[in-house]
Amino acid sequence: MKKDVFVALSFLIAFLFVSYAVTVRDVLGIAENPLRPLGEFYLSHAFAHEGLTSHSPEVVTAIVWNYRGFDTLFETFVFFLAIMGALSVLRLTREQGMEVRALEAREPHRHMDTITRTTTKLVVVMIVSISASIALHGHLTPGGGFQAGSAMAVATLLLFAAFSKFTLERQGLTLRHTISAYALGLAIILATVVAPVLLYGGKVLEIDLLPGETGLFNLDVGEYTAVTFGFLTVFLALGVPEWIFKLVLRREMK
Amino acid sequence: MIAAFLIFYITITLFAMIFLGIYGVATRSNLIKKIIMLNVMGDAINMLFILIGYRLVYPVFPPIYEKHITFEEFLRRAVDPVPQALVLTAVVIGMAMNILLTTYAIQFYRLHGTVDARDMAEIMGGERE
Repeated sequence: MKKDVFVALSFLIAFLFVSYAVTVRDVLGIAENPLRPLGEFYLSHAFAHEGLTSHSPEVVTAIVWNYRGFDTLFETFVFFLAIMGALSVLRLTREQGMEVRALEAREPHRHMDTITRTTTKLVVVMIVSISASIALHGHLTPGGGFQAGSAMAVATLLLFAAFSKFTLERQGLTLRHTISAYALGLAIILATVVAPVLLYGGKVLEIDLLPGETGLFNLDVGEYTAVTFGFLTVFLALGVPEWIFKLVLRREMK
Repeated sequence: MIAAFLIFYITITLFAMIFLGIYGVATRSNLIKKIIMLNVMGDAINMLFILIGYRLVYPVFPPIYEKHITFEEFLRRAVDPVPQALVLTAVVIGMAMNILLTTYAIQFYRLHGTVDARDMAEIMGGERE
């Protein structure tokens, strides 16, 4: 016990000493922290420069979907591969799926008490509206499709915890629907990416050719849908009760 | 001066967190603990990126154009947008990676009843350390 306190204190003193040396004494010469030339280039050229514009006063969105559009497009594909990897590990055949559904129907209807459920309802409404505003205003205010999708994934997790997965499935939010919505999000992104080639004879992802902010708006909405329903799909697949999954899988192994 | 001091204090702490994450991933044999330490490391790296882009001026602006700010003022006060754009995608990809790893760990547990790396090696036909 005494030794632990001694170790923690010596670490604290070492941290303070190094911090003091680097900042106040400026041993490494980085205390000023000026703007780097690359950042300055993006800040000064993103919105309006010699008639060219990225249609986004928010420089981060301009970088993510305009300057570095291909990076973000392939990030979307990495996300797709991760979701597909998880789904292919959790896959069930048609017979197994029907068996799981029959077993799930016999599970007792469990959910948390009234206080938790009411609070969750309120919080989920707030999260959904905030995430929608993050996604739809992504090119004007801080935010974008990725962040909004992550926020929505949290909302669905809250619903899972308070109401159980079966309530959601009874309301019509099954795996089939979420996968369809995920595909819709990816389709919106791909359509926006290819649209300049087909409509205006430009290059792939040259979204400046589309009228106004249409390109950025569509990409943000597509990313929002894709991320939200991608996460929701895996949550639904993971939400099958442990003993049912074991029962079905162990039988397959034998 | 105090702000610079604090920022560098945070930087050193984040570096310590990164090394802690590497230590945890290397030494723990429980897969879930490995995943948690990987998250600690990833979050520290993301935070470090954001910190690199931060400016020590007051007041500091987000990198968004506004009408009532002159351009010179904007350049003097806005934070660096490049690290933010990097972290934005890294966070979501980190979450996707988490989902993949967690799914594999859960599935392995369902099939074989263990998430210990040494037991896993034995089950897969290797030798136990």
